[in-house]
Amino acid sequence: MTETCATSDAPAALDYDVLVVGAGIGGMESALKLGDMGYKVLLVEKEASVGGKMILLSKVFPTLDCASCISTPKMASTIHHANITPWTYSRVDQIKKAADGTFTATVIQQARHVDIDACTGCQKCETACTVAVPDQFNADLVARRAAHITFPQAVPKKAVIDRAGTSPCSFACPAGISAHGYVSLIRSGLDEQAFRLVLEATPLVGTLGRACYAPCEGECTRGSLEGTLPIRRLKRFASDQHDKSGNDNGLERPEPNGRRVAVVGSGPTGLTAAFQLAKLGYGVKVFEAAPVAGGFLRLGIPDYRLPGAVVERDIENVTGLGVEIAVNSTVGDPAALKDEGFDAVLVATGTHRDSSLGVPGEDRMGVVGATAFLRKTKLGQPVDVAGRRVVVVGGGNVAMDAARVARRLGAASVTVAYRRSRDEMPAHHVESVDAEKEGVQFRLLVAPAEVLGDSAGAVAGLRCTEMRLGAPDASGRKSVEPIPGSSVTIEADLIIAAIGMAPDTSMFGGRVAVEKNGRLSASRATCQTAVEHVFAAGDAVNGPTDITRAVGEGRKAAHQIDAWLNGREFDNWDDRLPVVDKQAVLARQKAFTLSAPTPDGMELSPNPTDFHEIEAPLTEAEARRASGRCIDCAVCSECNECVNACPVDGCIDLRSRDVTSEVRVGAVVVSTGFKLFPADLKPQYGYGVYKNVITAMQMDRLLAPTRPFNTVLRPGDGKIPDRIAYILCTGSRDKQVDNPLCSRFCCMYSIKQNQLIMGALPLADVTVHYMDIRAPGKRYDEFYEQAKAMGATYVKGRVADVTEKPDGNLVLKYEDIENGGAITEAEYDLVVLAVGVQPNRDAEQLFSVGELALDEWHYVDEPEEDMNPGATNIPGVYVAGAASGAKDIADSIVHAGAAAAQVAAHLERTKTALPQIEMVPA
Amino acid sequence: MPAANRDVREVIREEAVWRPRILAALADGPKTVPQIAEAIGAPAHETVFWVMGMRRYGWLAEIKGSEDDGYFRYEPTGRVS
Repeated sequence: MTETCATSDAPAALDYDVLVVGAGIGGMESALKLGDMGYKVLLVEKEASVGGKMILLSKVFPTLDCASCISTPKMASTIHHANITPWTYSRVDQIKKAADGTFTATVIQQARHVDIDACTGCQKCETACTVAVPDQFNADLVARRAAHITFPQAVPKKAVIDRAGTSPCSFACPAGISAHGYVSLIRSGLDEQAFRLVLEATPLVGTLGRACYAPCEGECTRGSLEGTLPIRRLKRFASDQHDKSGNDNGLERPEPNGRRVAVVGSGPTGLTAAFQLAKLGYGVKVFEAAPVAGGFLRLGIPDYRLPGAVVERDIENVTGLGVEIAVNSTVGDPAALKDEGFDAVLVATGTHRDSSLGVPGEDRMGVVGATAFLRKTKLGQPVDVAGRRVVVVGGGNVAMDAARVARRLGAASVTVAYRRSRDEMPAHHVESVDAEKEGVQFRLLVAPAEVLGDSAGAVAGLRCTEMRLGAPDASGRKSVEPIPGSSVTIEADLIIAAIGMAPDTSMFGGRVAVEKNGRLSASRATCQTAVEHVFAAGDAVNGPTDITRAVGEGRKAAHQIDAWLNGREFDNWDDRLPVVDKQAVLARQKAFTLSAPTPDGMELSPNPTDFHEIEAPLTEAEARRASGRCIDCAVCSECNECVNACPVDGCIDLRSRDVTSEVRVGAVVVSTGFKLFPADLKPQYGYGVYKNVITAMQMDRLLAPTRPFNTVLRPGDGKIPDRIAYILCTGSRDKQVDNPLCSRFCCMYSIKQNQLIMGALPLADVTVHYMDIRAPGKRYDEFYEQAKAMGATYVKGRVADVTEKPDGNLVLKYEDIENGGAITEAEYDLVVLAVGVQPNRDAEQLFSVGELALDEWHYVDEPEEDMNPGATNIPGVYVAGAASGAKDIADSIVHAGAAAAQVAAHLERTKTALPQIEMVPA
Repeated sequence: MPAANRDVREVIREEAVWRPRILAALADGPKTVPQIAEAIGAPAHETVFWVMGMRRYGWLAEIKGSEDDGYFRYEPTGRVS
């Protein structure tokens, strides 16, 4: 493997003698034979269990041995063999041949997210999982879960978490909250668990459920169909349900670790950091200069968007962990807090200073900054605007908040003056739209030039310069320039400046490093300042952002402070898997049923007079319906129910990653098997349209001891079928679907199923429509005759088409050759399509394009099939089993044995030329 | 020709949404798949997916030997979460 490869000029030792690709019956047989001969074998299987298709079968023909009973000993022997290294849930990316005749293969061991040594196979994770997907190992007849054990006889019987990446909603969250996770929990009725999942990231569950700008919704894949899920409101629903329940939040105070951290500032960054550090056992004290805790949540965001009581409840999640919050406590020298016993300090003081307008007259009575205006309102000392004409300068979210608050305080008129157009406004679109609905007027493309006053020195108006748009600037917004000579005056009694916010660092008196832009100086990655025990994060470092980013900053700061205090290297706290490709998600389904999005729930008045919350909560019915629209982009939702259910601590690790290795081998066995013909390519038979038309693989699953239903039932309505028809040669011996080959075993597996059905359902009638019955093997014809003797009817002649009756029964129109060739119709409860096989084109992907020769039907070519079976066109590469053409189980095993012998001969021939690895005797 | 069925993935994904309705429908006694489908107002072929998924994960069980005109009847097992 990569880490063991020699770096000198001498040839590197082989990692394994042989690489076997695919652990179906052929691959296992080759691996076992080679292992028995003493060769070191690496067996790579893409599924999480060895066994291939055989283990999924009910019984085998003609012996009617239980497929599981005869497969599982071979499967167990394979993975426990001293000379076989089995890598399941892995794939070979590429195989390259070296000049010395050896091969280097790139193998990816996909993350199972389960410790294979620790997993007991108890399936508690599977039972708890909240994501249901079709079970491919039951031919899509029933659901499995994202967390699952492949099938009951899986070897190894270990769970795997099906993760395609990170869902776009979760990936978009700057706070690292698993949006998909809580949506999935709410869909399952697990509202308290949804609340607690968000609580793992931040104490501000109710706050974010109301005031977050929901970047998750902007990335929701459902948004490209008929509309996004109301993800933020679902979070609020979880929070509200928790509050209604009276449950505690499930958090217990951890054992103190003996160290203390001070947090300066109690906004979303400070509160989240304090919360996360307290969970780790730190003694945390928060210093807040204002008379209330919460920062901008309590001093900025108006109550109609975020009631103060919600913030207070969220803060209780912090104080409940023992965090002390000292209000009216200004810290002038954060570094000096070390002298008070704090091991580290986080400065997260936000941006509470208004930027000035920078125009003449700004000092007139009646000019106020937006944050000061909002703060006074929140503290119950609002600026008197009743009956006054208010102009708000700026186009951001704070400007919208200020304008809407002014409306509620009784202003005669409120006008937002902004220097660009609506399209360039930095405020979220919904905020400006809602402001307009509440009676706020907009005066666009004007820039303040002078605050006009009256004789008493009070504001009388705002003289502005008219602007025009130009080409986009570096930010992507259209540039703006004044129209020379233009001037317009907006009459006003009060002007609210909302053109920007900056950190207020005056209290530090130069004792904390500040950058030229006025923001605190700290590493964006580690949050550490020039003083090693002082960290800084949030808007004070980054400038004004939003609550969710501020929460993410708090999580990052807590993570890095903990790393520093424990002597660990700083690392990337955000270790999410890459985001899934939305197009790939949409391509997983043939079609989507459109489902109307949830109405927005806003209750807006053109003349708002109070601060009551304007957004209605989701009802329970709305929440279930809305969450039910989620399409599980990443499959696993990261709801953590599997982690919580697993009895082995640390067994499930959603942070584990794929491991890529390069292995050097002396030979390769390609045993990638075959694929089944997709039955919907014969539309006249109605597969995928008629509910009671199934494939023979689906019937084999219905007949297997580990069947998906309680017995053989038809999938259309769960009825026990009385009359069952088989249509042989579906997709084989058929030039219409470009497959002239006989699939060799369809006749025999159909006859096997005929016998099993008559055993399971003694009253059922079974009719087989065939062209030829091919039963050439030992005891095969006798097996066929036995089925006839048991009562199965065989009708020679093609089936023209199948139609469905309203009751789900199916009418077959067919030719009855042995009765004069009449075109006849017959009605059945269930139709089984005996699908043929197709080559698995994965085999050719293992090598460079065109390197591995295929035959004219795209199976792996055996140039000397009759005299030298198993040998391909590449010396050292052999093919085993059905990868080279349709074979039944017995023939696959024989062929795989031949391939093993070919490999051994090749290795022995080349022995003297190759560096050898130590062999273990069989 | 009838309209194409909904994608299996979409139907199966909805199991959790339909689960409480199915359990409510069974609260007054065991039912067959068509009876459950009628009670919840969903197609029988989609109900089969949900009933069998719930059966697999321990929410429902068939009543042994209870075939009713070719249909089994199903009842809750008592699993609540």
